[in-house]
Amino acid sequence: MKRENKREQESYRLLSRKSGQEEMVGFGLILILVAIIFIVFIASYIRKSSDVNDEDYEANSFVQAILQYTTPCEEENLNNLSLQKVIFKCQKKEVCYYRHMDSCKVLNDTIKGAARESWNIGTKNPNKGYSLIINVSESEQLLNITEGVVTNNYRTGLQDFGDPHGDYIIILMDVYT
Amino acid sequence: MVNKFGQMKIQQMSFMLLAVFLFFSLVGMIIITVKMSELRNSATELERQNAMLLATKLASSPEFSCGDVYGTPKTDCVDLDKVMMLKENINKYSNFWGSSNIEIMRIYPKNKTITECNSTNYPNCNYIKLLDKSLSGYDASNFVALCRKEKDKGETVTKCEMGKIIIRYEEAK
Repeated sequence: MKRENKREQESYRLLSRKSGQEEMVGFGLILILVAIIFIVFIASYIRKSSDVNDEDYEANSFVQAILQYTTPCEEENLNNLSLQKVIFKCQKKEVCYYRHMDSCKVLNDTIKGAARESWNIGTKNPNKGYSLIINVSESEQLLNITEGVVTNNYRTGLQDFGDPHGDYIIILMDVYT
Repeated sequence: MVNKFGQMKIQQMSFMLLAVFLFFSLVGMIIITVKMSELRNSATELERQNAMLLATKLASSPEFSCGDVYGTPKTDCVDLDKVMMLKENINKYSNFWGSSNIEIMRIYPKNKTITECNSTNYPNCNYIKLLDKSLSGYDASNFVALCRKEKDKGETVTKCEMGKIIIRYEEAK
């Protein structure tokens, strides 16, 4: 009788140890399943948010619009020149016809003024700063304006066009965000 | 003893099943809440994208663009004389550009005060409100050159200034 009781107790102890191991395996499996679901959910969320890309349409349209701006610089027939034509005049170091203004100063003042009024920059604003560079055929730099804070995140606007002498002008605008 | 042990195992199993069910329903509820807020955000984002596209393409539309009136055809150029005529007949265009408000503002040279344009004060003004619907939302804008013909010393000359087209759109509720 005693022997039988002892055998029963031993088999119960073995059974409970085995079932404890099974429960731990089951619990581990559930944890793995939940972790996989969580990872899939997070991965799909991250992939979706990284799809959003900032277009540079605003910087591009600024460059396009500023090129058409009528400056106070005149040509021989006393017509006021557009900023695009003032760039050519500045490149050739020519002065404006009527009041003999320096074309490069007109170019600098116009772009600085227009950019200041157009881009509301500041450390607390979405746009932290901007830079505008005008290059002639990648060798000569006509203008380089930088205002505000320069950051690693930026949007770019680019415009290039040829001048009557075969050179080409490149305007590059970076808006730092 | 074995019978009691079996009952305990069944009880354990049922508690475990209940816990798993509750856990997954909680996760499901969180996912549904996130998805619902995403849906609302994407509806607003779609409105924003539409407004942005409208802002970029509006300057090229025949009702606004300079065409070749001011020399060679230009992009992002708005004929202000044309826009003033459009303003006079805006009732015919009330639903033409969808449910958005359209405004044009001169930004350079800058005026200290905002003066809305009408037929009597044009061109000595800096703001044109084309459509004025009661919308509560955000706005998208695009830079444009605002060009017009002007009399100077008896001659008709072209004058272009810097401006912005502002599209106001309704936020998704």
